[in-house]
Amino acid sequence: MGRLLLLRLAGAVPVLLLVSVVSFGLMRLIPGDPSAAIAGLSATPRMVAQIREQLGLDQPLLTQALHWYGGLLQGDLGRSILLGQSVFWSTMQRLPVTMALSAYALAITLVVGIGAGVLAALRQNTWVDQAAMMVAMLGISVPNFFLGLLFIIWFAVGLGWLPTGGYIAFTDSPWGWFQTSTMPAVSLALLNIGLLARITRSTMLEVLRQDYVRTARAKGLPRHLVVGKHALANAMIPITTVVGIIVSLLVSGSVVTETLFSIPGIGQLLTSAVLGRDYPMVQGGLLLVTALLVLVNLGVDMLYAVLDPRIRYER
Amino acid sequence: MRAALVIAAIGVMTAGGAQAEAFKCPKVGGSFTFGQEANVNSLDQMTSNTISTRNIAMNMFEALTTRDENNNPILDLADRMAEAPDHLSYTFTLRPGVKFHNGKPLTSADVVASWDRYSKVGLDRQIFDAVAGWEAPDAMTFVVKMKTAQPTFIEKLSSFSIPVVIVPAEAKDDPPQQLRSIGTGPWQLAQSVPGSFVTLKRYDGYTPNTHFEQRTGFGGYKQACFDQVTFRIVTEGGARVAGLETGELNAVEDVPTKSVDRLKGNANVKLLPLNNWWIQIGVGNATQPPTDDVRVRQAIQAVLDMDEIMDAATDGNYKLNYGFAYPNQPDYVTTGKDTYNQKNADKAKKLLAEAGYKGQPVVLLTNKDYSSMYNAALVVQEQLKAIGINAELKVVDWPTSVQMSQKSDSGWNIFFSGWGTQPALGALATMAFLAPPGAQYRPKDDKDDPDVLAAWRDMSNLPTKDERKAAFGRMQQVILERAYVFPFGSLTKVQASRANVAGFVPFRIPRMSNVYFTN
Repeated sequence: MGRLLLLRLAGAVPVLLLVSVVSFGLMRLIPGDPSAAIAGLSATPRMVAQIREQLGLDQPLLTQALHWYGGLLQGDLGRSILLGQSVFWSTMQRLPVTMALSAYALAITLVVGIGAGVLAALRQNTWVDQAAMMVAMLGISVPNFFLGLLFIIWFAVGLGWLPTGGYIAFTDSPWGWFQTSTMPAVSLALLNIGLLARITRSTMLEVLRQDYVRTARAKGLPRHLVVGKHALANAMIPITTVVGIIVSLLVSGSVVTETLFSIPGIGQLLTSAVLGRDYPMVQGGLLLVTALLVLVNLGVDMLYAVLDPRIRYER
Repeated sequence: MRAALVIAAIGVMTAGGAQAEAFKCPKVGGSFTFGQEANVNSLDQMTSNTISTRNIAMNMFEALTTRDENNNPILDLADRMAEAPDHLSYTFTLRPGVKFHNGKPLTSADVVASWDRYSKVGLDRQIFDAVAGWEAPDAMTFVVKMKTAQPTFIEKLSSFSIPVVIVPAEAKDDPPQQLRSIGTGPWQLAQSVPGSFVTLKRYDGYTPNTHFEQRTGFGGYKQACFDQVTFRIVTEGGARVAGLETGELNAVEDVPTKSVDRLKGNANVKLLPLNNWWIQIGVGNATQPPTDDVRVRQAIQAVLDMDEIMDAATDGNYKLNYGFAYPNQPDYVTTGKDTYNQKNADKAKKLLAEAGYKGQPVVLLTNKDYSSMYNAALVVQEQLKAIGINAELKVVDWPTSVQMSQKSDSGWNIFFSGWGTQPALGALATMAFLAPPGAQYRPKDDKDDPDVLAAWRDMSNLPTKDERKAAFGRMQQVILERAYVFPFGSLTKVQASRANVAGFVPFRIPRMSNVYFTN
């Protein structure tokens, strides 16, 4: 296991390198550079030239690339052009916010998604099954931006239960965090609930037809043990795979949710950086987020072995 | 002479002293939250040209001069200003008792350091082009020496676009975008979380300008009535309105037009329309075919129906306005009026025929970041198609469109934009767009238009205000008759506050001084 872990971590290096090359190249390919964002519409050609010189954007592309990779080798991700802060620090300030929101959304997704999927499988072709799958389909189909706005109108303006936006860190006030994170987390979770519920349902239907489940029923095991211990446990491998994908979707989906609810997370940070052509921020931020997602996928792979004793990562 | 008039105006204000009782907060305390539509990256007012930065920073920083409620130059950190008879130097005497947010008293050494920094990194440092140097003969005196007399120097210096704000001398070498947030204003920085919020708290050591009784523009007698003000970044219009309705936000900027009618029926909300927020405009490319032919540009100008364009661009929240100043401004002139809103398809077709137009594409460069620009381009496209012009839309994001517009050869013919801050500052700032080295100055094949240049020089250098206004009239006429740009009309922006907020008067930048809760 340890060897595999090291191998997988080593395998992440080319992935990160590729991401850094692609992000560096793509940002330079997009027309417009940070000077336009800083100087604005009234910028004269002289002002733009001065800013480009200050930022080193008048240097050849190769020089800029060497500067960026030179810093990277020394663990320096550079300094955000627009924020004036180190890229690492800016990202680390935002990452906990997105992680907390994603964790909350994931918890909702797991409980509701797996619950609805199992229930639908157990009550196949009944109204329960159809209702659960209809809600799942709605979650997949309705854009979370629209859903978020509806939530604001219903729960903030209409009922006054929750704030319209903003963010309070869990460490500052757990209740405040719960209040400010609930609507964003639910709107973020709904898409993934649909996905997970459908996967869980189909996997459970398959498992429930297996001989060992029939045997478990035949020997008189209580229903909850048949479903929980024999069926669901064996359905967990494909579900875990999907959960790994969902974690990535939660991080990428946070862009819209964070913007709508004014949450200072990584999605909002990177969106602003792309729009402002903040090259170091986009390059460094993407690298850190990629590293995080690589670790998540690695964690999912390790989880397989825990969930299924037949899987052993050995030569 | 213009400078002399300015000085005279300032002299009246400074020498006269307070005539009535100065403003006193009827109620002190409370926490005010403002819903801001755009993210703010840096609070470095010297190196940022964005409204979002100005929204916050103009409450923290002050400069020697600023603008009053009617956009006239006034003194702010300067107590007095004297212009030499030869117009080659200006002597500013600092207001006594002013302290920075770190408690340090303001001296002329801080002014020198601030001007030094601005001359190195300030975005609008071309305002120093005519300046030979500056010095501080004593702790409270600051002298600016000019290379040549420039009648419009004080007007330019008092601009709030990218003002020369005064910071402590130790900030002199702060890199661009990293200026430490220590000013002299009534509000000081408490916390900034980029992308989320910025909180300012009342600066109890603030020394108001006793030459005034009330806040005026960005200057005057300012008082911080709230304990703290939070600018919360709420980019989505619907979410801003929802926050205002629930009372989480005490005031917001840019209420979507669709929400205005609903809010009119809400007794807890006050709508505060800000007319003439910006001039919706199309900039012609005089170098790129086919708009390099003045007759093609004039044909485009002839067919445009401005009501249709502005209605689509603003959801009905607009005023028709030709030219580059608004009717309520002293610079307003009527030259070139005949070129506006002609809706004359026959004339347009005739001009196209004379130009030998053969269906070459006319590329309309626009963006979706600003829906008003995108919608205006859609309508213009249809109007041009109606007279046989092969109009094509090129939709990119805003930074890209700005960058493309700065190059005449980047494949566009009309760039859709909006001019806000400059028209508010006056004709001189606006026309700087269209004169060298202005951002939108795109003479055909890079050869200057001598008529534009002559009018611009007169606007900048003639000694009297009336002479400069006449020059503005000539420049406007040339620009419009040669169809270098197409002003469509002026857009109204709606701000709003809760009913229990007093003193929040709509202005280009939300001013948090002299604003208070009534209950």
